[in-house]
Amino acid sequence: MADKNPYRPIEAQVLDVIAETPTIRTVRFKTKEEVAFVTGQFIELTIPGVGEAPFTPSSRPSMREAMEVTVMKVGRVTEFIHKLKKGDIIGIRGPFGRGYPLDEFKGKEILVVGGGCGFAPLRSLMYTFFDMSGQFKKLFFRGGCRTPKELVYRNETDEWAKRKDLNFKLTVDNGDESWKGNVGLVTTILDDVEMDYKQGIGVVCGPPIMMKFAAKKLLEMGFKENNLYLSMEKNMSCGIGKCGHCRLGSYYACKDGPVFSYDKIKNFPNIWD
Amino acid sequence: MKKYISYKNLINLLNVLAQDYQVFVPTEAKNGRFYKKYSADCGKIVIGEVRAVEPLKSFFLPGRERVAEDFKPDLPQKDDRKPYAVVGVKACDLKGFKVQDYVFKDHDFEDPFYNKARQNNLIISADCTCCLESCFCIALNLKPYPQESFDINLSQVDAGFVVETGTQRGENIVKENFSLFEDAQDYMISERNQQREKVTGEIKANIKTQDIPQESLYQGIIGKNYQSVLWQDEAKACVECGACNTICPTCHCFLLYDQKDKGKMMRLRIWDSCMIKDFARVAGGANPRERLWMRLRNRFEKKFDYFPKVSGIYACTGCGRCIAACPAKIDIRKVLKRLVDGR
Ligand code: SF4
Ligand code: SF4
Ligand code: FES
Repeated sequence: MADKNPYRPIEAQVLDVIAETPTIRTVRFKTKEEVAFVTGQFIELTIPGVGEAPFTPSSRPSMREAMEVTVMKVGRVTEFIHKLKKGDIIGIRGPFGRGYPLDEFKGKEILVVGGGCGFAPLRSLMYTFFDMSGQFKKLFFRGGCRTPKELVYRNETDEWAKRKDLNFKLTVDNGDESWKGNVGLVTTILDDVEMDYKQGIGVVCGPPIMMKFAAKKLLEMGFKENNLYLSMEKNMSCGIGKCGHCRLGSYYACKDGPVFSYDKIKNFPNIWD
Repeated sequence: MKKYISYKNLINLLNVLAQDYQVFVPTEAKNGRFYKKYSADCGKIVIGEVRAVEPLKSFFLPGRERVAEDFKPDLPQKDDRKPYAVVGVKACDLKGFKVQDYVFKDHDFEDPFYNKARQNNLIISADCTCCLESCFCIALNLKPYPQESFDINLSQVDAGFVVETGTQRGENIVKENFSLFEDAQDYMISERNQQREKVTGEIKANIKTQDIPQESLYQGIIGKNYQSVLWQDEAKACVECGACNTICPTCHCFLLYDQKDKGKMMRLRIWDSCMIKDFARVAGGANPRERLWMRLRNRFEKKFDYFPKVSGIYACTGCGRCIAACPAKIDIRKVLKRLVDGR
């Protein structure tokens, strides 16, 4: 590591930009040097001369020909990302941090709960699970979003719903004419998850407030604190525990996370803020 | 056997060192001591007295530094710079080193820029021969004279310095330039010891009159005061300038800042401050430390809770720089007292 520059981005070319919703786009790109990641890790995406921002890749980690990030327009760098076109040059640093401990998931029953743009990292996790199909006892996915229009990857999730190795359900806070599914918070569609909660693995990813309530609910259901995995969003910058921006108690989310089991962080004050 | 070097021969030594190093010395200015590159006309050199205004980190983690250019794989800095020899470094700044080394060198990922600057450099430290009103190093279990982390230490006695070496590198320099040194006489050593006692006494008096608590009482002070109103109270006058962070020898946080320079992409690393509002704000808008007092609390939490937990070091040297720098007169000594007393 000593002679390598961790602040230098690797060149990448944009292959395609997919508009998921009016404010969410998926950027597909190919890096000049190979970047392999474990689901749950994150990268820093550079718009040359403008700046960089952290994202968890939303693509299938086993897919080598390209990588994808799904980006909501929320600030300066993401605005530039939304303007990207095929052929544009961007930069990538990473991957950073620790992803999901997949080996510990093997042979277990797993419940994945996602909310809002938290879908993006979970898409990568779900494809990883599909690659490992047969290695889990049961697999549940429960996703929530504010409105049907904000649901991303609709074509893909329609396919997921048909899978035999997955029990899949979505909900929206506010429905519309087209919406036939459940209306209500994601915590309202967990009761039909049939598994042994005490032995099961819970994965929660989404906006802080959703994570707070989903985590609380899963703990009430009986999930063990060390079996409950949370993906903590902090203001990541350097990615290697130097710049100080992402501290979470006695950890840096960038290198010790962003995925933490609940027991590791529960005693820090204000983890959901 | 300890050595002695006269002031005149020290200058001769600096001239020799300047061939292999970029030599920096503390020089006298109206409002304190500032490091300047050593030369015949660099002004009045002050080896003794007290710490410089700038923290030692400025040499190894500069306030603004280029860390990437386009997608070039090699480091943007050229290799032709000579290593630093910093002279007259005080004990408190050597402790600052420990914290910076922990962050950038000694655990997890090594930072190539910091490590390169730290490689082959020479630290010629010096005893403090007086103290400032704001010095409280002894409360942090330091002594006003270096005991570790130096290559060579100088203790001022009448017309020269008692010399002690702390590393092989320091030892070699003394050997290679043996004609500049003589054996230290017993009276010089006792003069040095008296001097050390005198300054120690002065700082102890500071600590006593200002009622500054000792490090041994710091354990758990953040946790037990986490919900206290003292944070709001202390942060009231803060103007969010960040001076307390940038001047601090232990603060290490930085910002990566990208810009275009003649069509090239350039990435700079700039000192950052956790007192600034957006420091921990995430892109989605959530800010875990929305209010100023939360950020003040975080600054103390980082120094007096996070660092001792992960590295066993309280990330404060008692140098008092933040006291001198704060336009709002927020005083770390007073805050520590309130934290220890829990009121
Ligand atoms: S916190 Fe203040 S007194 Fe302590 S090392 Fe930093 S600048 Fe010096
Ligand atoms: S130096 Fe004083 S005013 Fe400036 S940010 Fe620090 S505490 Fe606030
Ligand atoms: S992103 Fe810099 S310390 Fe975590």
